[in-house]
Amino acid sequence: MSLRIVVCAKEVLDPDAVNNYALEGRLVIGDDGKSLTQSSIPRLMNAYDEQAIEAALRVREAGVPCTIAVVSVGEGQDILKHAASLGIDEPVAIHADAASLDHHGVARLLAAFVRSRGGADLVLCGRQASDDDQGVVPALVAEHLGLPVVTIARSVDVTAAGDGFAVRVVRVTPDGDETVAVPAPVVVTISNELGQARYPTMAGRMAARKKKVAVVTPAELGVAPEALRPRITLAKQFVPTVKGACEMIGGGADEAAAALLARLRAENVLR
Amino acid sequence: MSRVVVCTWGTSGGAEELLTLARGVAAGLEATLGWVVLGPAPHDVTAIASRQDVPVVDHIEHEKLQSFGGDVAVAALADYVRQHDFRVLLVPQTFDARLLAPRLAARIDAGVVMNGLGVVVEGGALAVTASAYGGDTRVVYTLAGEGRFVIGVATSALAAEPAPNPATAVTRHCAVDLAAVEERVQVVTRSEQTGPRIEEADVLVAGGRGLGEKANYRLVEELAEALGGMAAASRPIVDEGWAEPARQVGLTGKITRPTLYIAAGISGASQHMVGCAAAKTLVAINRDPEAAIFRYARYGIVGDCLEILPALTRAVKG
Ligand SMILES: Cc1cc2nc3c(=O)[nH]c(=O)nc-3n(C[C@H](O)[C@H](O)[C@H](O)COP(=O)(O)OP(=O)(O)OC[C@H]3O[C@@H](n4cnc5c(N)ncnc54)[C@H](O)[C@@H]3O)c2cc1C
Repeated sequence: MSLRIVVCAKEVLDPDAVNNYALEGRLVIGDDGKSLTQSSIPRLMNAYDEQAIEAALRVREAGVPCTIAVVSVGEGQDILKHAASLGIDEPVAIHADAASLDHHGVARLLAAFVRSRGGADLVLCGRQASDDDQGVVPALVAEHLGLPVVTIARSVDVTAAGDGFAVRVVRVTPDGDETVAVPAPVVVTISNELGQARYPTMAGRMAARKKKVAVVTPAELGVAPEALRPRITLAKQFVPTVKGACEMIGGGADEAAAALLARLRAENVLR
Repeated sequence: MSRVVVCTWGTSGGAEELLTLARGVAAGLEATLGWVVLGPAPHDVTAIASRQDVPVVDHIEHEKLQSFGGDVAVAALADYVRQHDFRVLLVPQTFDARLLAPRLAARIDAGVVMNGLGVVVEGGALAVTASAYGGDTRVVYTLAGEGRFVIGVATSALAAEPAPNPATAVTRHCAVDLAAVEERVQVVTRSEQTGPRIEEADVLVAGGRGLGEKANYRLVEELAEALGGMAAASRPIVDEGWAEPARQVGLTGKITRPTLYIAAGISGASQHMVGCAAAKTLVAINRDPEAAIFRYARYGIVGDCLEILPALTRAVKG
């Protein structure tokens, strides 16, 4: 019996490139007032989703026979090619205009995809997407499928238990690590603490070239257009202005230190 | 009449700020303002509710809510909503709320938005301002239709203001049916962090990659100690193992709001700044006069943090 893993992945704008533009004060919003349109910002797989794939591959390498499907809503064929080059079994695109969907629509499609395959034992997602940072899709998918959900995992271990599988997750919480146990099927979200995701090997790249990305439509998944009508729409995006009222304190190290302390004490920030 | 309801559990941290925000939303929607407390209620609930003009505080009590996990919490709130419906439910965005809010939304077929910084009513429609790209941008979401919405709000940047006409709040005890609910996820080893947390510290000294190497983190700890504060860190140096994960400030770390935040060798990326922008006074020490951190700082020192940190420690010790 093999463990059926589905990893959900999203294409995003490279957050580091966005960050660099922001740091230089050169981040621009497009004419529609809501999109980041600088064409020099690469599109790539959300890094947390890449780590979710990594988590799946580690489960396989730990000796659990697995089938790993990676599914993405939208046209992001490139990220699915990337997923394929990492050695997953099945890249699947759900053919829909991702920009016109809200998270509820995306979650409905992902849940319908899992259902269309007769379920999954382990649904892995990144903890959040680095573009909108919402982090709600995994929980929505879990509820639609009636599954428990464990968030912000550092590691995921799967063992056979009776006719099924038992899952053990180390979660990163504000109070430190917490270990939880849950029987499959379950939805788990992966955090950066999992560690660096692998890069594709040359052989992996070659194999990926031959692998076809399967495409399914919402209709094939039994999701009607009304169920995808967004309740939440992006109206506007802007770059926040930072007030920038910094007083520079000069002089040598000791001089500057004394001057800073004097100011902080004068303002009662320090006693 | 429809309701705008604030939902809290555990301590009442952030509740009063969120109630102030909710009061404005309720006025805009011509709705009543409510507050629902899940599980044991903090001692100051009635006082806060009265100040914020909340006539009725709903208290959901059940033995399974003495200490609870997600399955029980979601089931309890869903059952509560069946009895007392709402239009908008606002939750302070804690670690647990990030999971609870979307789960509840799916369970009761509500729309959900997280990372809210502000919520307004414009022409009868709800608009939520939220942060995106780790704080690099702000987005405004329009919430369409007459349905319910659950909104997670980051309360650290909100201010509490008493209502012009305070109420005398009364408590309504709400019973929920949790007979069939058991936690599906079992905690095997719980993390009990002992000792102080950076979220609650009054003074923080944070180090970043500019420290150069692990051994230099000691300079951050020494200044923190001299100031009676705590040492904090940016994500890269936590990833490198120079500092403990519990010290990480930012989007995927802790959201802090100290009186004084001293950032040494930190560039000022948005993902870091969301965790410290609420500091009352921010001091930046950076070798690069163009570093973004200076845009957020009240005071800046351009120079080598390996020299300036020890100089500050000496000066503090006098
Ligand atoms: C999805 C996502 C989530 C993230 N979450 C977080 C988070 O929670 N917290 C977080 O911190 N980051 C987070 N990041 C990373 C963030 O984008 C930055 O990369 C990170 O904050 C940079 O850390 P830093 O400032 O220590 O390092 P750098 O950006 O490398 O900055 C080092 C700074 O030190 C200065 N410097 C160098 N030498 C010296 C010296 N001798 N003396 C003085 N100054 C010196 C340099 O001028 C530079 O400004 C996240 C990123 C992403 C994409």
